Amino acid sequence: MNEEALATHRQELRRGTIVLACLLLLSRPNYGYALLDALEKSGFDVDANTLYPLLRRLEKQGLLTSEWNTDDSRPRKFYVTSIDGAALADTLKRDWHDLDSAILSLKDDS
Amino acid sequence: MTATSSPTDRYVAATLRSLPERQRQDIEAELRALIADAIDDRREAGVDADSAERQVLTELGAPARLAASYSDRSLHLIGPEFYIDYLRVLTVLLSTLVPLWFVIVALVSFADGSPADVAFGGALYSALETAMSIAFFTTLVFAIIERVSAVRTKRTATWDPSSLPEVRDKRDRFSALIGGVIFLAVIVVSLVLIQTVGAVEGPDGARVGPVDSGLWESGVFYIALLIAIASIPFHFLAYYTGWSTLNAIANTVFVALFAVPAVWLAASGRLLSDDYFRAVGWPEGADVIAVVVIVFILLITASDAIGGWVRASKKRRTR
Repeated sequence: MNEEALATHRQELRRGTIVLACLLLLSRPNYGYALLDALEKSGFDVDANTLYPLLRRLEKQGLLTSEWNTDDSRPRKFYVTSIDGAALADTLKRDWHDLDSAILSLKDDS
Repeated sequence: MTATSSPTDRYVAATLRSLPERQRQDIEAELRALIADAIDDRREAGVDADSAERQVLTELGAPARLAASYSDRSLHLIGPEFYIDYLRVLTVLLSTLVPLWFVIVALVSFADGSPADVAFGGALYSALETAMSIAFFTTLVFAIIERVSAVRTKRTATWDPSSLPEVRDKRDRFSALIGGVIFLAVIVVSLVLIQTVGAVEGPDGARVGPVDSGLWESGVFYIALLIAIASIPFHFLAYYTGWSTLNAIANTVFVALFAVPAVWLAASGRLLSDDYFRAVGWPEGADVIAVVVIVFILLITASDAIGGWVRASKKRRTR
């Protein structure tokens, strides 16, 4: 399999997991760059130019709320998961476990 | 280095340029903080200020792409949803109208007395021009459909198997449209041929055609042809977005715009030349033909207007 196709397949599989990871990580308020760092440290490979617009989309959908924090020398926009966002995270997490067991059961059958 | 340094300024400005006004301030503040944080991080790791800034901006990628991502804008002219329809419409229009137009122009200019090679060259040039206009306007219409969310949802959200058109019905409508175009072309060609080649010697020695010469030269026919041609993309648009009551109303207005003046011209005796019919020895011919023309116009336009209403009501029923 060529590199490009492989990268595309892996990207497709990971795409939705970034949203779930954000919703879970942002149960505690955080700002864009620190979140990017936290995601990378947890093993989620995401580009800055994907993450930042994504945060705004999630905010627009009411899954995150945001607030400017001016305590530090540099004002930063802090995001935190809303009640709706937490509910979605639960649903997605259940789906994730279901998929996991579904894939394991496929492996058992073969 | 910090938010005041110029590459970051230019990057932020380029990103904001295409974003809606009300979002700019907030996105600018956040983007500047994000870039500054990333630069600081790299500098702590020992990268010098200039390279750190360049690396961070390079990773963020082209500003236009980032802006599109912020505003959820599509980065394509016509998306996969409409591309097949677009290709089909383009193919049908190009493969029918362009050859027809070529033949019409060649015939008309040949009948007008141009030598064959000049007529051929002129027709070729004109056909190429027509092909380009067709390609442009078809693309424009589909690009608009792609971007007008009301049309998009209308086309996509209401779809269910029961709204599938009858197979015969669909082909009929499509071929009726093509038939209409060919029909229009035949009328235009024969009208021009009769008026030019078929002209006879009038009472004062000048050559007269069956159509009143004052009217013929007034350019009214160009307007009529323009309305007829304009109705083609209109029908295509209605066909692809589904006929609604609004389409039916617009279509009726469209048809009336053509039919009312045309019938008035014919009924008031301004359409046909009495001299011509006297010269060919059929003095009452002008009145007879005028009646035929009126009936013909009324039949065609009424069936078109009613057809629009029928389609609109059918569409509502299947929902």
